[in-house]
Amino acid sequence: MAYEFEKRRAFGALYRITHWVFAASCLLLTITGYYIYEPWFTTMLEKGTADFTVANMRFLHFLAGYFFTGAVICRFYLWFFGNRQERITDALPVTKRNLGNFWGAILNYLYIRFHTPRLGHNALAGTTYLLTFLISMVMIVSGFYMLFPESATWQVWGTNLFASQATSRFVHFILMYYYIFFAMVHIYIAVWNDVMFGEGLVSAIISGSKFLHVKRPKAD
Amino acid sequence: MNGHDDTREFADMRLTRRSFIKGCTMAAAALGLADSMIPQLVAAATAPRRPPVVWLHFQECTGCSESLLRASHPDLGRLILDLISLDYHETVMAAAGHQAEEVLHDTINKHDGKFICVVEGAIPTKDGGIYCKIGGRTAMDILAEVAPRSAAVVAIGSCAAFGGIQAARPNPTGAVGVRDLVHGKPILNIPGCPPNPVAFLGTVLHYLTFSRLPATDNLGRPLFAYGRKIHDHCERRAHFDEGRFAEQFGGEGHRQSYCLYKVGCKGPATYSNCPAVRFNDVNQWPVSAGHGCIGCTEPAFWDTMTPFYERLPEIKLPVGQGTVTTAESVGRKIMGVTAAAIGLHAAAGVTRRLLKGTAKTDEIREEE
Repeated sequence: MAYEFEKRRAFGALYRITHWVFAASCLLLTITGYYIYEPWFTTMLEKGTADFTVANMRFLHFLAGYFFTGAVICRFYLWFFGNRQERITDALPVTKRNLGNFWGAILNYLYIRFHTPRLGHNALAGTTYLLTFLISMVMIVSGFYMLFPESATWQVWGTNLFASQATSRFVHFILMYYYIFFAMVHIYIAVWNDVMFGEGLVSAIISGSKFLHVKRPKAD
Repeated sequence: MNGHDDTREFADMRLTRRSFIKGCTMAAAALGLADSMIPQLVAAATAPRRPPVVWLHFQECTGCSESLLRASHPDLGRLILDLISLDYHETVMAAAGHQAEEVLHDTINKHDGKFICVVEGAIPTKDGGIYCKIGGRTAMDILAEVAPRSAAVVAIGSCAAFGGIQAARPNPTGAVGVRDLVHGKPILNIPGCPPNPVAFLGTVLHYLTFSRLPATDNLGRPLFAYGRKIHDHCERRAHFDEGRFAEQFGGEGHRQSYCLYKVGCKGPATYSNCPAVRFNDVNQWPVSAGHGCIGCTEPAFWDTMTPFYERLPEIKLPVGQGTVTTAESVGRKIMGVTAAAIGLHAAAGVTRRLLKGTAKTDEIREEE
């Protein structure tokens, strides 16, 4: 059946900017973070070099961490003050509309029954983003606890949440795999949706607009 | 040191077996030898042959001898005196005057080509070398007579190695180090002001065990003691990398034991094992006491390392000001941008609501 599409504005500029800050910072954080975990490169060039490979990797990690934190703060703000698609009320399966959408999304991804894409994220995605937000909070606290180990403020947070620097380091490292897993699933599902429904989901996070199915079939 | 009587230990000049093994182990560690080599060092050190040593003093303060023989840990000095046959040493020998000169003469004749010549102090060369005379002869004369007949020359201290403070600009006496006057003999430089006794002990034990001098860098310094930069083994190195500095003596950063680079530490340009070996057996060295390295193991350090309390030029700091410091300052700006972005978003929303009224926004209408 042929459909008409209508271009609709879905995501605001701040939302899209934070998306790409997340993408870039998570990539950088994972690469530099893994290097800090296993600094294989410097070992080969230990003598006679004034390059600060580990120091530079750590610096990039800290820098990306600050960008990541800033983006998380923006997203938190948008949950309450963003447009309808950006708000937490659109994301969580707590309303009747969202509960139906949550179930529909699961059936959709299982190829059982395709649902008509809506303008915002489906509620399954929204719920995943809440989980990601909570994990990001753990990453931010453990990260700043390790960046400023002598700071009284971060010590209160760090010792209460992780008890020690070693534990926070371990948690920080293990949770890195969540982001690797998230990125793989996220990219796969975005492309899959784009291919299946032609709504322009991938370009929506660049342009801000999606192409929604118009209910009525084409005249001819 | 519970109940240990130091006085007795100092008064008793005999070297105990325990102290002897400890000294050999210390030297093995300094040389970077495996502990399986310690028995060989011990065997070499207990062999009856003791190389005769002629110790020449020229333009110097005797600080090198002092630090060597009066190490707070008495074993080192005793071990050195046990290992070598110190036939001529003006400061510690009993003989004086013509008797002493006779000893020197006898030693170099008896052990021609076999004794080790240790030189302490620079050698003045200006005006025929008249600025340092012993027994009516110039230092240049004495060195020219003794050094060619030795097996090897060890220049102990920065003065003998590179001229030291005597050679500092304007160098009024034309002072030079041994390497500028002696040619055709192996010369080993053990610079420092004073050098660590362990470096000398390690050199002697290496010579006794392997019958050759240890490997050196291109300035003739043994690599086991002068192979790496102070900066690279410094206990305060992490503070350098992260950008935490003592900005002035007695200041906040200084009290926090932060990096001393900005108050003039020359560790990034100085080769020595001070951070690892340390001094006086109390685990101390200048940097751990809050004073920067002055670069005393480097040639012409009085000229090239001064002013002592100003930072070395062109030393690269990670990412400009150090990792944590730079990240913190950039991070503040990123947080500022975040706040600005939220503020802009909120202002745009409020403005649109004022212009269009409190009715549903476009997005909500579209969705339904």
